[in-house]
Amino acid sequence: MIPALFGELSAVLAAGTNGLPYVMPIHPNLVHLTLGLFIVAIAFDIVAALFPLEKAIFKFLAIPATSSNLYDVGWYNMLAAAVITFFTVAAGFYEMLLADPPQDVISPWGLGATDTMVWHGIGGVLILGLMVGMTVWRGFQRYVWRQDRARQVQWSYLVVGLGIFGLLFVHGTLGAHLGSDFGLHINADRLIRAGLDPNTQLMPIQP
Amino acid sequence: MFQDLLPPLNDHNLPYPDTIHPIVVHFVIAMVLFAVFCDVIGYFTKNTRLYEVSWWNMMFATLSIFVAVIFGQIEAGLATPYAAAASDLNLHTLIGWSLSGILAAVTGWRYIIRLRTPDSLPAAYMGLNLALTLLVGFQIYLGDKLVWIYGLHTEAVVEAARGGLLQ
Repeated sequence: MIPALFGELSAVLAAGTNGLPYVMPIHPNLVHLTLGLFIVAIAFDIVAALFPLEKAIFKFLAIPATSSNLYDVGWYNMLAAAVITFFTVAAGFYEMLLADPPQDVISPWGLGATDTMVWHGIGGVLILGLMVGMTVWRGFQRYVWRQDRARQVQWSYLVVGLGIFGLLFVHGTLGAHLGSDFGLHINADRLIRAGLDPNTQLMPIQP
Repeated sequence: MFQDLLPPLNDHNLPYPDTIHPIVVHFVIAMVLFAVFCDVIGYFTKNTRLYEVSWWNMMFATLSIFVAVIFGQIEAGLATPYAAAASDLNLHTLIGWSLSGILAAVTGWRYIIRLRTPDSLPAAYMGLNLALTLLVGFQIYLGDKLVWIYGLHTEAVVEAARGGLLQ
């Protein structure tokens, strides 16, 4: 088991064709955290704000729930999203600088690889700013402005959050194009472009 | 008969623009890892409010993983993996289905803990958190390989496979 795993890992490393000093890109993995935490934060704040309407549903499901607990999810998840997104953007810029975008491919949205990369880079910084801003806004609502109110968040905060969902969709699709259309940092795609067969190059070594 | 009900497959070999499974797994990966993180912080600081945050995140992860598995199975079926990629895809599929059951069971236990002793977590549950983190981590590693090593559903690989270059 261990030698097999080692053999496999060394085969992956030996392929070394992704253009990065490590086996697989880090940015797309941090993206899971950024998006999951942000979207769930807004979702739970919406559920908490509409809590009076849902009381009966939680009761029917036999799940004890209070709106203040749901707001806790909205706050802590948003805080975590803002913190982790600094790393997401940093890893993204590092891997963008090491990318070698193909010049002869056009994305389904009619953009070339370099244009897609630039827009995705600008969008990333913008979204980082928005997430930090949303976290500060959320913090003021929680601890200062609305500390004594039953509804901890303003409707405008939730509306802006939903607007950012739209931005995340556009931004995420551009990122998806960088991987699945332009093949940035993908071993198999780079092997194919280099005229090699990924099937033979990436076959795990049998110990 | 059924192929006429779906749009034709595009250059990612999908009946819709981009893969959906890697998007849905945001809500499994982020929620499980953050739930474990909150449990660990709560466990050592006795801030029991964080236990509520982890419970709701686990709940969300459990609902999401079934959606993730369904899209994963559809997209695995359309992945046309070449020989080098096949065994990792099989293992990812096996662990994915298993993880849906494991995650539901852990969340079920968490539901009972929350009803009975909401202010304390058994050490065994923390152990399970560790095991779950390792399993999710390995599953992420396999899924990453399918995209970033083997390039499944990427334009270049789909084109090569259709041209008969990957046997």
